[in-house]
Amino acid sequence: MLRKRIIFTLIYENGFFNQSRNFRLQKVGNIDWLEKNYRLQDISFSLDEIIVLNASKGDKDIKRFATILNRLVDDVFIPIAAGGGVNSIADAEMLFKNGADKIVLNSALYEKPNMVKEIVQHYGKQSVVASVDYINQDVFIKNGVQKIDTPLDLYIKHIESLNVGEVYLNSIEQDGTGFGYDIDTIQKISSEIKIPLIVAGGAGNEKHLLKAISMGNVNAVATANLFNFIGDGWPNARRYMLENNCNLAEWKS
Amino acid sequence: MKVAIVDYGMGNIRSIASALKYINVRDIVISSNEKELSKSDKLILPGVGSFASAMKFIKGRGLDATLNELVIQQEKPVLGICLGMQLLGMSSDEDGVNQGLGFIDGVVDVFDDDNVTVPHVGFNQVALKHPSLLYQNMQDTLDFYFVHSHKMTANSDIGQSFCHYDESFVASFEKGNIAGTQFHPELSQKNGLNVLKNFMELF
Repeated sequence: MLRKRIIFTLIYENGFFNQSRNFRLQKVGNIDWLEKNYRLQDISFSLDEIIVLNASKGDKDIKRFATILNRLVDDVFIPIAAGGGVNSIADAEMLFKNGADKIVLNSALYEKPNMVKEIVQHYGKQSVVASVDYINQDVFIKNGVQKIDTPLDLYIKHIESLNVGEVYLNSIEQDGTGFGYDIDTIQKISSEIKIPLIVAGGAGNEKHLLKAISMGNVNAVATANLFNFIGDGWPNARRYMLENNCNLAEWKS
Repeated sequence: MKVAIVDYGMGNIRSIASALKYINVRDIVISSNEKELSKSDKLILPGVGSFASAMKFIKGRGLDATLNELVIQQEKPVLGICLGMQLLGMSSDEDGVNQGLGFIDGVVDVFDDDNVTVPHVGFNQVALKHPSLLYQNMQDTLDFYFVHSHKMTANSDIGQSFCHYDESFVASFEKGNIAGTQFHPELSQKNGLNVLKNFMELF
């Protein structure tokens, strides 16, 4: 039976990892801080995937981001998806070469659909995650600042037509609140979508994760909350979910 | 022990190299150069990307002849991973019908997205078929990480273990010196590291 997934998202901006609240970023610490507070080699035993997003404003300095990514993924044996500002095949290649198993695309889905198709063609659809930031029916690109004219449900259809592998659906309104996922929208989108769906935005504790992951077509739950799962947060959350019969992978020693 | 990861210009090879280092494989070369591959004791054919692009690259570099010499004539152990496993088979219907390396009697076709969401992505259970070198000292059913839209089926006995998603498909095979996993051992935590270890030690 195909298991569901728990994903930890790390938001990177100009050398720092951030707590995001409604897409306003608050610096938490650099990679040394992250390694001290979240030993990814250890907590990866409680996670199924890690997503690292470059949310730097202006020049994204994708080279520097790739260097950080490279260091981050050492001895982590679960899939890593990375993205933010991927603007060319060369950008995608740089992330793949530095440890990304999948590439996350956002603004390019709207602005450069042909490049998206090209990446899909070369690396395969399973290597591409489409990230969508929304409030209600409105979709936003460019780190959540530019509203586009296509409503959410049609935009999802557009994304599917680009032949990408998965959708990462992120509620700007719930982002970083810790109030729980946007269940209504997830319900609507998940009933129509034909490719795997990852939901993000709002998880504050393991009960929120469990609620969303238990929904029919939701394949994975993600959270970028750097504060709520610190220390033993992830091992405890996974144990709680397994105790509640959540369909998650188990690794026996 | 020297192992070569065959570089055909696609996807994340780094995670395989880093998993091999973790299980104490010291001598790792990443290359598509015939000499480098010949000098290695074992080969790993990694796997991300599309079947057609990969075969085009392989044929363009004459890598198909090299692999045939090393794997079929010299019987060097090879492990294909994900797309790399599929390339060892006869053919795939990804982007039109394309011939594979033809080392193993398996054919590749696409999952039916009327029945299941495609790609098949996440951890799924594999019913381990024993006796097996890949799964020696491992339990009967274990979780491994899959991410693929196409699946292999085989009509003959190629030492295959199965996974189920919509229908049963080949999760792994092992026949003589040729082995493959549809899942990514390098992304499957302890379970996957054990499979890599077995390939390095027992093949």
